[in-house]
Amino acid sequence: MAGGYLVPLALVGIVLASAAAGRVLRQLLRISLLLTLPIAVSVVLVSVLTRPGETVLMVLGPFDVTVEGVDFAGQTLVRLFAISTAIGLFTLTTDPRAFVFDLERRGLSPRFAFVAAATIEAVPAMVARAGVIAAAQRSRGLDTEGSLRARLRGVLPLVGPVLLSSLTEVEERSLALEVRGFGRPGRRHLLWWPPDRPIERLARWLLIIALAGLVIVRLLGAWPPIP
Amino acid sequence: MSATTPAIELEGLVHVYPEGTRALVGVDLRVAAGEALAIVGQNGSGKSTLVRHLNGLLRPTEGVVRVNGRDTVDVRVARLAALVGLAFQDPDRQIFAGRVRAEVAFGPRNLGVRGAALDGAVAAALTAVGLGDAADANPYDLGYSRRKLLAIASVLAMRTPIVILDEPTTGQDLRGAARVQEIVWGLVAEGRTVLAVSHDMRFVAGTFGRVVVMREGRIVLDGTPAEVFAEPAWPVLASTYLEPPLAARVGARLGLGSTPTEAALAEALAERG
Amino acid sequence: MLELRGATYRYAGYAQPVLHDVDLVLRDGEIVGLVGGNESGKSTICLVASGLAPISIGGELRGEVRIDGEPTAGLAVHELAQRVVIGFQNPATQRSGVAATVFEEVALGPMNLGLPVAETLARARRALATLRIEHLADRDPARLSGGQGQLVAIASLLAMGPRHVLLDEPTAQLDPAGSNLVAAALRDLAATGAALLVVEHKTDLLDGLCDRVAVVDGGRVVLDGPATTTLEDPRLEGWGVEPPARVRLARALAARGLPGLAQLGWPA
Repeated sequence: MAGGYLVPLALVGIVLASAAAGRVLRQLLRISLLLTLPIAVSVVLVSVLTRPGETVLMVLGPFDVTVEGVDFAGQTLVRLFAISTAIGLFTLTTDPRAFVFDLERRGLSPRFAFVAAATIEAVPAMVARAGVIAAAQRSRGLDTEGSLRARLRGVLPLVGPVLLSSLTEVEERSLALEVRGFGRPGRRHLLWWPPDRPIERLARWLLIIALAGLVIVRLLGAWPPIP
Repeated sequence: MSATTPAIELEGLVHVYPEGTRALVGVDLRVAAGEALAIVGQNGSGKSTLVRHLNGLLRPTEGVVRVNGRDTVDVRVARLAALVGLAFQDPDRQIFAGRVRAEVAFGPRNLGVRGAALDGAVAAALTAVGLGDAADANPYDLGYSRRKLLAIASVLAMRTPIVILDEPTTGQDLRGAARVQEIVWGLVAEGRTVLAVSHDMRFVAGTFGRVVVMREGRIVLDGTPAEVFAEPAWPVLASTYLEPPLAARVGARLGLGSTPTEAALAEALAERG
Repeated sequence: MLELRGATYRYAGYAQPVLHDVDLVLRDGEIVGLVGGNESGKSTICLVASGLAPISIGGELRGEVRIDGEPTAGLAVHELAQRVVIGFQNPATQRSGVAATVFEEVALGPMNLGLPVAETLARARRALATLRIEHLADRDPARLSGGQGQLVAIASLLAMGPRHVLLDEPTAQLDPAGSNLVAAALRDLAATGAALLVVEHKTDLLDGLCDRVAVVDGGRVVLDGPATTTLEDPRLEGWGVEPPARVRLARALAARGLPGLAQLGWPA
């Protein structure tokens, strides 16, 4: 049983230590908890209450809480946490533009690279636009500080113009982009991409080897599966 | 509220945005009921920040904002909307209804107006902006000029005693700008208090009885167009990168005193003989 | 030289054409102003002259657009952009959103063309120098004033290498300081030999800037001549165009039988 926890916990430990070294530990914990909490709640409820097992810890109404159930929930949670902290660490420590340029120099189509980068940058602009729209509607008496019913009634006047104005802006925006050659197929000579250091290259190869190794070991059945 | 209660009173108004920008550094302003006032200044001078305090969208960091004699600090924006109508610059950042009529009805409906009173308010507002024939059109079938007028109509229909227009002539062609001027005069004739934020010196000089010039978060000039565009005020205007209208410059050069509009210049010349 | 010959254009999905038989010529080193009421077709003329209509936005064009004698039909948009570019009124929509500095933003165009790095850098530098905004090179494009943002947008277009620049209401959303900034930059630009078409409502701005002015009404060019005489035409207001201040002033004086500005000694 303990074996099922060892690897994920070790992974979480490595990720958190890296986060601490990169000074993003607190942000990472916040993001990971936010990501895993909703899933965790449902996983725990389902496993703890309904998973069949032999050793019953207690009885809650129609449900038998078993040791096996709790154990399963525990192992799943730890794995979820390992995944979310790893993803969280990646997003916190990677400059999106550097990432996209690097992908492009390794062969990603420039148009795709542009879309990826622009999507990331689009959020603050949308938030600002939503703010202006909310101000205009509130000035016309829309109550955003009142009851839930009042706030629900405000959804269309708030969301509608955001969508409409985004759409009307899209045509002008895409024309402006086309004029600057963003639609041209073919490679481009990037002005800059992030430098690749030997240690990063080594780390990448080690990760690839580790991944391949894990898959092989799994397929050969040499590692105990989750009960 | 007595007859002499100012419609708007700002005392020592300071506003600092969360990121630290000091947008207003101590503004004192009194606007009497029924006055027509234009606020001018470059972007970043604080004019937009100022008017957003008048309907509660922004709250003072320091200082007091009073509308019709009452401190606004604890009044919700939705409640202040019954007193202060603020028409924003970009109509596409507020239009959401499929019909002009419904768009204009949104404001008064939020204020609780229903039935015949609502229809009346909508019809009157559409007529005032010249969109009476477009009541059943889709707002996006109207051109930009008319959509701007629609945005103004949607605020007029709320029949607020104080009306604020944010850059009403920007992007308007000649007819649209003339219509805006008529709207302002119509509101003044009804006894309402009108404020406009504008870059358009000619529109300002020819339409309003009082002009307030802002720079870097404070008021630097406050007076009639004749006073604000008179030669002694030019250095202050220049410091805000604003130019007095041509008529004012010509009048001053010819020694005719302050002539902020073409009509005033022509008058002064005729009198001189 | 850019020429529209008999251009009649109908937007996709619309029954009626918006432009009727438009002839317009833009010569190197010339600044041409385009005025007209809202909905008169000024923006459509820009879209047609830039080739984006119909190549990018569809619709039906009858008549021709020629650049230096060659028709533009059949060119890809990025090929077109190296001959003629179009700028819009909102600096924010013209920002790519993927550049961290102004220099990078301006360099994006030539980079997209697949040019070698040295050429991209040279073009970006030249564009910034032409508009005198080298001092903005390291700034964040999203944190500029309206006027500066518009200049960056124009520089980004210049870096594509066109000799014809069409600007649709470049100062519409700018405050007076921003408008003056852009107007001064356009003078510098025309001095380099580029052909400029500027659509504006602000006839005072065009008065000091343009060599020629054309008036559009109902999708047709109704007047086309030297800037000074066109802006003094008495029919302007009927077409929804506000004449420049000096013209309005002269008329106000004349209406009262008073001597004209020149006779009064203005400007001294």
